[in-house]
Amino acid sequence: MAPLNSTKPEEDQVLVEEKSYAKILTLNRPRQLNALSFQMISQLLELFVAYEEDSNVKLVIVKGKGRAFCAGGDVAAVVRDINEGNWSLGAHFFCKEYILNYIMATYRKTQVSILNGIVMGGGAGASIHGRFRVATENSVFAMPETALGLFPDVGASYFLSRLPGFFGEYAGLTGTRLDGAEMLACGLATHFVPSPRLSLLEEALHKIDSSDPAIISAIIDKYSQKPYLKEQSAYHRLDVIDRCFSRRTVEEILSALEREALNNTKDDWISAAIQSLKQASPMSLKISLRAIRQGRLQGVGQCLVSEYRMVCHVLRGKVSKDFMEGCRALLLDKDKNPKWEPSKLELISDDMVNSYFSMVDDKEWVDLKLPARSKLAIYAIAKL
Amino acid sequence: MEDQVARRAQVLRNHLLHLAAPIPPAPTTLSPNHCVGYSPPDLNEPFSFNPTDMRGLLDSHHLADRDWLFGLMTQSRLFNPLQRGAKVFVSPDYNQSMEQQREATMRRIEYLQDKGVYQGWLTGTGPEAELRRFAFYEVIGIYDHSLAVKLGVHFFLWGGAIQFFGTKRHHDKWLTDTENYVIKGCFAMSELGHGSNVRGIETVTTYDSNTGEFVINTPCESAQKYWIGGAAKHATHTIVFSQLNINGKNQGVHAFIAQIRDADGSVCPNIRIADCGHKIGLNGVDNGRIWFDNVRIPRENLLNSVADVSPDGKYLSAIENADQRFAAFLAPLTSGRVNIALAAIYSSKISLAIAIRYSLTRRAFSVTPNGPEVLLLDYPSHQRRLLPLLAKTYAMSFAGNDLKKIYVKRTPEFNKIVHVISSAYKATFTWHNMRTLQECREACGGQGLKTENRVGHMKSEYDVQSTFEGDNNVLMQQVSKALLAEYIAAKTRNKPFKGMGLEHMNNPCPVISSQLTSSTLRCSKFQNDALCLRERDLLNRFAAEISQYQAQGESKEYAFILSYQLAEDLGRAFTERAILQTFIEAEATVPAGSLKDILSLLRSMYALICLEEDAAFLRYGYLSTDHAAAVRKEVTKLCSEVRPHALAVVSSFGIPGAFLSPIAFNWIDANAWSSVLH
Repeated sequence: MAPLNSTKPEEDQVLVEEKSYAKILTLNRPRQLNALSFQMISQLLELFVAYEEDSNVKLVIVKGKGRAFCAGGDVAAVVRDINEGNWSLGAHFFCKEYILNYIMATYRKTQVSILNGIVMGGGAGASIHGRFRVATENSVFAMPETALGLFPDVGASYFLSRLPGFFGEYAGLTGTRLDGAEMLACGLATHFVPSPRLSLLEEALHKIDSSDPAIISAIIDKYSQKPYLKEQSAYHRLDVIDRCFSRRTVEEILSALEREALNNTKDDWISAAIQSLKQASPMSLKISLRAIRQGRLQGVGQCLVSEYRMVCHVLRGKVSKDFMEGCRALLLDKDKNPKWEPSKLELISDDMVNSYFSMVDDKEWVDLKLPARSKLAIYAIAKL
Repeated sequence: MEDQVARRAQVLRNHLLHLAAPIPPAPTTLSPNHCVGYSPPDLNEPFSFNPTDMRGLLDSHHLADRDWLFGLMTQSRLFNPLQRGAKVFVSPDYNQSMEQQREATMRRIEYLQDKGVYQGWLTGTGPEAELRRFAFYEVIGIYDHSLAVKLGVHFFLWGGAIQFFGTKRHHDKWLTDTENYVIKGCFAMSELGHGSNVRGIETVTTYDSNTGEFVINTPCESAQKYWIGGAAKHATHTIVFSQLNINGKNQGVHAFIAQIRDADGSVCPNIRIADCGHKIGLNGVDNGRIWFDNVRIPRENLLNSVADVSPDGKYLSAIENADQRFAAFLAPLTSGRVNIALAAIYSSKISLAIAIRYSLTRRAFSVTPNGPEVLLLDYPSHQRRLLPLLAKTYAMSFAGNDLKKIYVKRTPEFNKIVHVISSAYKATFTWHNMRTLQECREACGGQGLKTENRVGHMKSEYDVQSTFEGDNNVLMQQVSKALLAEYIAAKTRNKPFKGMGLEHMNNPCPVISSQLTSSTLRCSKFQNDALCLRERDLLNRFAAEISQYQAQGESKEYAFILSYQLAEDLGRAFTERAILQTFIEAEATVPAGSLKDILSLLRSMYALICLEEDAAFLRYGYLSTDHAAAVRKEVTKLCSEVRPHALAVVSSFGIPGAFLSPIAFNWIDANAWSSVLH
């Protein structure tokens, strides 16, 4: 299958280290910024499932090799499948990835993710659902899917919607980049540790013999610091974000932003947000907004089931082929000039949006089946 | 004593560890490790169907808009988010004083106004706009009944009166300002001395042709306007219902617009307002009393869609007959009843979702000496208490959707049908809701008594539903009267029945087979036949009894009063049959599969519960005692078959967790010492 061919199989894409009660999983595709291949996802899933039952494992640390934690799922490989006429192969990739997200979100043991670099898309899915997310001054978080004709998936409809006010709509629709301080401020990260202290932190974590989140958190706290939230951060303007991104439709959000831009010329983030929204796939914006709003009211499992429906519709391309077009323009041809279809927000009817949330009309297709979970700790589900 | 404690501890321990034999020696003291744990039902109760799809069927329209509005409420401090354990719930603080609750309600109204929630509620037209408004109104009611009622008075009563009773000049002047809350409206119909009998109200309005003004007066204490929502604090304007007296001749009840407060909120001259005071519920609504002391209003303030008064004081109306004029006047006001019926369904959904989720996590008593304690919902008796109410709530959801559909497509010819069905559903759904709330409250035990757990408190919040916008008993009598009118019309004209679902009366009388097998009982044809048979027979009996009384010389009106028992039975038979038919229709739209399977279980449960609960089936012999026994047995069986789907069935209500209550989730965590404010 294509995702497997995309990398050299002899290379270990996930490095495993053992330190007494801790397991350290290092995403190891530095040249691809640790983008998650099918093989990596499968391996991570196997490891996570095995560690949950292994009483010698109390703590799982996930990090990335090189300057990225993980730049996302390896969608280029998926697009190759689709272009070869096999959308269900792509669906299989997402199915596995979402199950990994679900296992992480409902994990009985403590996951600590060290986000010392790029955390995007699938990388967010492989970390944010875990108990502790350690940001650094090198962290760059983004859910850039709407620019690619996709939508923030990997459980983003769950975790973005749980950010303060309507910040999740802002981050999910515009794909804006957040730094470590912003991640901590909005709750995407649980700690901020300057990168020079990471090796000390890891050493301390290696010595841990408890899965108790309180104990682990206290250790990370020792190396943590209160970061400086930069002056021009949009997070300082939550009131404006709430005012604009609480609007009912994408069109209304856009016009609210444009009104704000008229009255406020010194906030660069507003014009940047408008820019991003105008460049993004209109269909992506519509379904992303709907997914975040629906996800705000659902559990993480239901969110993933819905996202799986959506992604299958996206891959199938019956209503819009924007995902293929976005990958072409940004990843393959790199002309950065995608031709979205439908080309305008106004051309998208409610029925078109609704169809992304319905069952896929295909005999072979089934809803995402999440593994049964049991014996969960009290806080196993709600982390954000 | 010591022994008992030890045994008890052992039971708990076993239940927790799910130990099979051999049983280890019992510990002699309770240790904290061995206490009852919470296990999220969501992870143990697999869903056989996707609740999102079921929700689509139940909520039926504007799902994304509903979610947006839910989100607006959860994301704002104004909606009083409260952390309980790991979860946040939104609910008004009912421990606030009445004054504070009223102000909080007003702030929430303004917040939603600012977000554009009410856009098009009055200025929008067509089914799409009306359905969206219904959807938003349902969601608002899920948060708080006071919020919904205060909005309802402003938009549907004040705004609706202007829309329906007014003409262009009123629309142009008032609708946009109403939608934008530039003015705050209320609706002064009820008086101390007259509620359901609107025609008997005593407020009097005369016309002064010298100044071109109407003069509104409250002639006596029993004529004071009573229960007027919004009047005590916030409303600036009101619709006044009053007798119109022109040149000494009473032209009957008419509606006028009067200002009661100025822009600063001071009460206008010649208006007196008093508070209705603290109530058993709805304390977020400022109900007031109004007296009019010869208040003068311009002639244009008569809402003149049905009748008008010329500048020189001549009464003009296209409808000669005062009775018909009055009927034409009130017919469009059905939207209130539709809203109440729908709100009752959602209230039932909230309480059932809470009680059933609790029953899937709370255990009590062991069956064997050292066995684990049993989940509440695994007791057949608990199933029998809650699951039939759940099936009824499903049935009423489909009926509610059907009512909305009829309502938004209404034409003048449809007015009568909308009136009858909305009356029948309003009464039936609100009664069902009160019963459901009480059962759910009891099913939650002591936890049901805590206000934050919602079910108990909602009893007092929703009790008013059986009274306002038409007393339930009065409405049901009107249903039976309307059915009788259809009956007489069909018989005297010798024409087939048409409309209100009475077409079945044209067919041969259905026959119930003497042997009722399980598969017959679950067949929609049988279920429909049984309910049609009852309706047909009761209608015949009712008509016969009325005509018998009339033959004995009683007036038609008095005959109705005497035949109240058959009237009640008939109203119920009509309503239950109508509801079942909407269920069958909804089921027919679903393709074969797990979703349809569960719907058919619930539909059977609904139909059989109707058969079991109404003594009329045995009283008049529609069912034999053997039949009744078979029905009862089948209900028990259905309960055990619905049980595995209970969580999925309530999850499909689409009510976000934040709008349920702590006992619906981890109630141990929510009650932990660490969560107490020290």
